[in-house]
Amino acid sequence: MVNRTLSNVVLGLIVIIWVVPFIALVTTSLRSEMATKTSGFWTSFTPTILGHRFSTHDKNQELKSDQLSGNIFKRINKEQDWFPVSGMVESIMFKGRVPDPNNPEKTVLQKKLVPVGEVMKVRGGNFIFEENGDFIWTFPKDSKLKPKKLDVFINQDPVFAPEAYVEVLIDNENVPNALISSFIVTIPATIIPITIAAFAAYAFAWMRFPGRDWIFIGVVTLMIVPTQLAFLPILQGFNGLATWMMALQELLTDCEAKDSCSVPSKSFASLWITHTAFGQPLAIYLLRNYIVGLPKELLESARIDGASHMQIFLKIIMPLSVPALASFAIFQFLWIWNDLLVALYIGPSSSDERVFPILLEQQLGTFGDQLHLLNASAVISMVIPVIVFLAMQRYFIRGLLAGSVKGG
Amino acid sequence: MAQVELRNVNKSFGKTNVIHNVNLEIEKGEFVVFVGPSGCGKSTLLRLIAGLETLSNGEIVIADKLVKDLPPSKRGIAMVFQSYALYPHMTVFNNMAFSLNLQGMNKTEIKQRVNSAAKILQMEHLLERRPAALSGGQRQRVAIGRAIVRNPEVFLFDEPLSNLDAALRHDTRVEIAKLHNQLGVTTIYVTHDQVEAMTLADKIVVLKDGEVMQAGAPMDLFNNPANEFVAEFLGSPKMNFFNGIIAFKNAGASKADFEGENFEIKNIKLVSQQKERSDFVRLGVRPQHLQIDPKGIIHGKIMLIEKLGVETIVELITVKDKTPFRFATQKMLELKIGQVVTFSFDPSKVHLF
Repeated sequence: MVNRTLSNVVLGLIVIIWVVPFIALVTTSLRSEMATKTSGFWTSFTPTILGHRFSTHDKNQELKSDQLSGNIFKRINKEQDWFPVSGMVESIMFKGRVPDPNNPEKTVLQKKLVPVGEVMKVRGGNFIFEENGDFIWTFPKDSKLKPKKLDVFINQDPVFAPEAYVEVLIDNENVPNALISSFIVTIPATIIPITIAAFAAYAFAWMRFPGRDWIFIGVVTLMIVPTQLAFLPILQGFNGLATWMMALQELLTDCEAKDSCSVPSKSFASLWITHTAFGQPLAIYLLRNYIVGLPKELLESARIDGASHMQIFLKIIMPLSVPALASFAIFQFLWIWNDLLVALYIGPSSSDERVFPILLEQQLGTFGDQLHLLNASAVISMVIPVIVFLAMQRYFIRGLLAGSVKGG
Repeated sequence: MAQVELRNVNKSFGKTNVIHNVNLEIEKGEFVVFVGPSGCGKSTLLRLIAGLETLSNGEIVIADKLVKDLPPSKRGIAMVFQSYALYPHMTVFNNMAFSLNLQGMNKTEIKQRVNSAAKILQMEHLLERRPAALSGGQRQRVAIGRAIVRNPEVFLFDEPLSNLDAALRHDTRVEIAKLHNQLGVTTIYVTHDQVEAMTLADKIVVLKDGEVMQAGAPMDLFNNPANEFVAEFLGSPKMNFFNGIIAFKNAGASKADFEGENFEIKNIKLVSQQKERSDFVRLGVRPQHLQIDPKGIIHGKIMLIEKLGVETIVELITVKDKTPFRFATQKMLELKIGQVVTFSFDPSKVHLF
């Protein structure tokens, strides 16, 4: 019992530790720039007392009367598109000269918080305001009014708006460009290794050839090679490849006449190849272990039915391996989507071809003080994997093998 | 000419030899059952015929073709697996049509063949379902249907009933027997259940440790077992054995006198004919062949009485040396545990091993 409570508590803590940063990101991205700069995200869920400055009316507004009425919120929100202020007016900070009670000839500068309902003398008129923001300014006689700026404290309701997203996605090309680049990199770099690995996994699981187990062990051992270690040789390889491609292009086309023949050694294709190569060992390992667990009788039955290895693979193994393929696809997608290092060293270097993690890293510099924009980008980059996960999740059908063999 | 012929078939996995020199001829249309305890090599033998295992030595001929180097699909066989091995992602129709599709047969003919097979098995209404939506018995039928559509020379069944519950097992057994009568295709059937073997087979092949112990018609094997193993394996409850020696062996060597701890009896059929006078032998009596007889020669004390309805099985031990034995009868008898009963038997129905 105690154990269970303890494990629940630990589990709860883990969940909180993981969820809080995400909530922080999302919340911050939905707040106004002002708010992100002045207070922490945790204050944004409850009403907070915040100061605003408003002018009683527009400067060019012709006013000649003994009374002026208006609403504080309307005045404040005149210039707010995204984050309208609402809530309850608490008080107004009155700053002005009032007759000195000790010396009637003179005035003194008074600074005081005027609560709701209390009359305050502003420019000789009586200014009174209510909780809902309505105010009335009355004068003993007609006078020409100049707008007066007042500082008001409002117990403000939480307000969220996707301003940062609009700015990041629509007003600016960087994020959409990076999204497209990331997709260009990620989709082939997910599909290609899985396809190759599935073929290899089948061969390792069900075909008999000399040295099969040793080759498999070799492939699995390759998992320990760190990507960083291989950067230099890989780059050299791509350089060589690019030189060949250039020579080939010179030979086959009239590129020199039109344009330059140079082929970049760092391109999307180099990323596909690199990710394919580095994804292969784990993919083969995972898929092979799944495929080897499929009932042997199915394959034998297919052999008796006259299926070749290729037909067994395509018609029996592939459809039954969908859960394994999908789960590996999610892994591969995730780590390519989030990959910064490989993209930085091997990916294309032009600014409109950079992938999302590189963009984020650069935004850290440019948007360093615009947390809401940075966070919006971060959330966008997180949302894609979540969508991919949810879309793939329906392929994790348990008991896909049900009905093939007893107990399957 | 035999439909299936095994000549000196040997199979070893690494250094372990699992099939030793099996020679067997199976006639066209015969229903042959391989039976034996688990690990006796019966499934391996079937898989060798199917081509799922490669021969270490020897030859297999199916329908006058030497099939040693042919892949399973070219051997003219169809196999039903113990686990059914249905393709879970395909409908029943596609499961049955799979092999025909691979042969490149045209659609109308496939449809016709599948439908006629489904009709034979009375499962036309199941064709659009997936295996997951079928009961065990229905899956079994689909597996058989998948074999039928291929129109094979030989059907191979690998313990097809062992995944079914007792009631369904009986029904399916009857169905398989009927199907065999209807189609008349040579069938090789592997089981460890001697009841299945006895009821289905035209010919039983009893295997032990990769060797054929005896092959022949079920009743032949039952009445004239070639050795102690076959005698003990076939028949339920198992045959009783009493230890003793040969007191006298007659000239033809076909009969001998038995002298045991518990009793002596003359002129019993001697199965192990190489045994000489005063050699150790065992006398085998089927529980059904014992009868209660106050003048009998076996005295047994009742330990347990099992009433099965039709039959009553009594477990006893001999009074003298406490050899356990069984007595089976269809008569209703008033017996009590602890009681001593005397039995006799027909000497022509017992064997010396």
